[in-house]
Amino acid sequence: MKVEHDHRGQMAAMSMPALVFTIGMIAFPFLYTIWMSFQSYSSTGQVTGWGGENYLRMVADGEFWNGIWITFYLYVLSLVMQLVLGTSLALLLFRAKRLPGIVRSLFISPFMMPPVVAGMMWLVILDPSLGAANWILTSLGLPPSAWLASPVLVVPTLALIDTWQWTPYVALIVLGGLQSLPPSVYEAAEIDGASRRAVFWRITLPLLLPTLVTAMVLRSVDLLRFFDLIYITTQGGPSNHSMTLNIYGFRTGFEFFQLGYAGALMVTLSVLVLGAVMAFNRLRNAVEW
Amino acid sequence: MASITMRNLVKNYGNVTVIPGLDLEIADEEFIVLVGPSGCGKSTLLRVLAGLEAIDGGDLMIGDRRVNELPAAKRDIAMVFQDYALYPHMTVRQNMAFALEMRGLSAAEIAPRIEEAAKLLDIQPYLDRRPKALSGGQRQRVAMGRAIVRDPQVFLFDEPLSNLDAKLRGQVRAEIKTLSKKLRTTMVFVTHDQIEAMTMADRIVVMKAGIIQQVGTPEEVYENPANLFVASFIGSPSMNFLPVEVQADQLRLVDGSLLPTTLMAGQAAGHKSLTLGIRPEHFEVVGEGQGIAADIRLVEPLGSDTLVHAFAAGQEVIARVSPDLRPVTGQRLWLSPASGKAHLFDPETEVRIDGTGKVN
Repeated sequence: MKVEHDHRGQMAAMSMPALVFTIGMIAFPFLYTIWMSFQSYSSTGQVTGWGGENYLRMVADGEFWNGIWITFYLYVLSLVMQLVLGTSLALLLFRAKRLPGIVRSLFISPFMMPPVVAGMMWLVILDPSLGAANWILTSLGLPPSAWLASPVLVVPTLALIDTWQWTPYVALIVLGGLQSLPPSVYEAAEIDGASRRAVFWRITLPLLLPTLVTAMVLRSVDLLRFFDLIYITTQGGPSNHSMTLNIYGFRTGFEFFQLGYAGALMVTLSVLVLGAVMAFNRLRNAVEW
Repeated sequence: MASITMRNLVKNYGNVTVIPGLDLEIADEEFIVLVGPSGCGKSTLLRVLAGLEAIDGGDLMIGDRRVNELPAAKRDIAMVFQDYALYPHMTVRQNMAFALEMRGLSAAEIAPRIEEAAKLLDIQPYLDRRPKALSGGQRQRVAMGRAIVRDPQVFLFDEPLSNLDAKLRGQVRAEIKTLSKKLRTTMVFVTHDQIEAMTMADRIVVMKAGIIQQVGTPEEVYENPANLFVASFIGSPSMNFLPVEVQADQLRLVDGSLLPTTLMAGQAAGHKSLTLGIRPEHFEVVGEGQGIAADIRLVEPLGSDTLVHAFAAGQEVIARVSPDLRPVTGQRLWLSPASGKAHLFDPETEVRIDGTGKVN
């Protein structure tokens, strides 16, 4: 279709609202954060200096490195569990072919649940003295656990809760991937004499990789920015053992009002997320078939 | 390198019977083409042979083994799928090696077999490419290569040419036929395209609604179709069918024109109403006032000959005539069936009547 010259102005005008919205709601806050990360503020909010001080401070800050470590620990643990369980669940559902509506509703309910509700629910379940989790453990003759109050178990426990909430989501993505695989390829494999194991490892899994990478991207963005569940359950405790970079940044900015330093932490987190997404995009191109 | 025997073979999908008891003998090294319209059960039969569908009754033998319950992998067959079903994440070489690896062959045993098959099919330059980087024709060859390396007893082809363009289809058709002579393996080829069936088959099996209508060489099926269905399905354009009344030694057409029964391949005596079948290429243009009057409605020049769509004996007929005739729309031609080439069918049973007057 030929676009006439006098229509151009009209087209520009019509795309203005979207452009203004994008700049105002996405670009501005982000650029403002970057700008802020180069400012030093007094406790009353006065700008006292300008430069890379915040970043220098970050490098020397043990809590920052702790935040990086906790973020990655929680990220890797959750991602691996969600991918393995999600894929297994998807394979089961795929074999079941037709899913009753009630099962599907139950299935998506965890990730439809608001994080606050999920957090409160798990706080009750995992309560060391009153919770159902420890009641089950002791009924089985096992010693009770401190769960979220344990410095050692807090991250695995958070990972478990996140896995409970998001595994169905991963499973649905993988199920979609499975359903789009060409059925004749499986028949060819059947004639070629591939065992079920060989079919999974040599055909299904390689063909699913692009889907799995997509699931990884979606979960990575969320997991690296892990916030709400931790804020509701542990607020980074016990003694910084669940203090992810995001929680640390939030508390630095909104509890200790060090806005410049908080900005620097958030910019660093954004770079990490962006880097992960870019790495996954490369990976996706590599596994595309 | 094995014969195939089907005895009273039954296949149901739930309550629907797709193949209600089929008998067929396929000789060793024979090239059999199963042909019929969509839904005639030909692909189902192939999948039953392959072991991709369970058998609900009767016997299936490959060689002298009864294979009813044998899984696909153990039947020693190879199949070329309509969409080729190549493993998209593997290179051509890996695709061809897969079945051999699954059988536990070593890399040293696999490599020469791939080289040999690749050479035979002229796909050596693509061995390290993935299917995505190949054209349709190349993929088709890889699919055949994957079948050949296994050195199976039986090759099964499920409409393997339908995704190729017309020119390539002709070329690959010839290649498959040449290949079948070289490999000397039993081949079962499914198609809905009667030209593929005619050109490639040692014997054609024409199917309709899960029932075999006729089994025969391409010539037999073309020259002596068993019934109206086979007559209309084989040959392009399709055979013309005209209702006739038998009057002594003449056949009276709807428009009143008369044809002598001596022209017919079948015996009209003893019948009253019949269906006359004449292939477009078996019409002869005769002098004015003889045969059937045909008013030309459309002319399709094909170069080598010309198709004439005409209104004759109360209906549309198609005749293949010499281009030298230079027919034009609106012109009237007089057509008569070539001697011994017109067929008579019983309109009730749709069966062809042969020279002895018997319904065969």
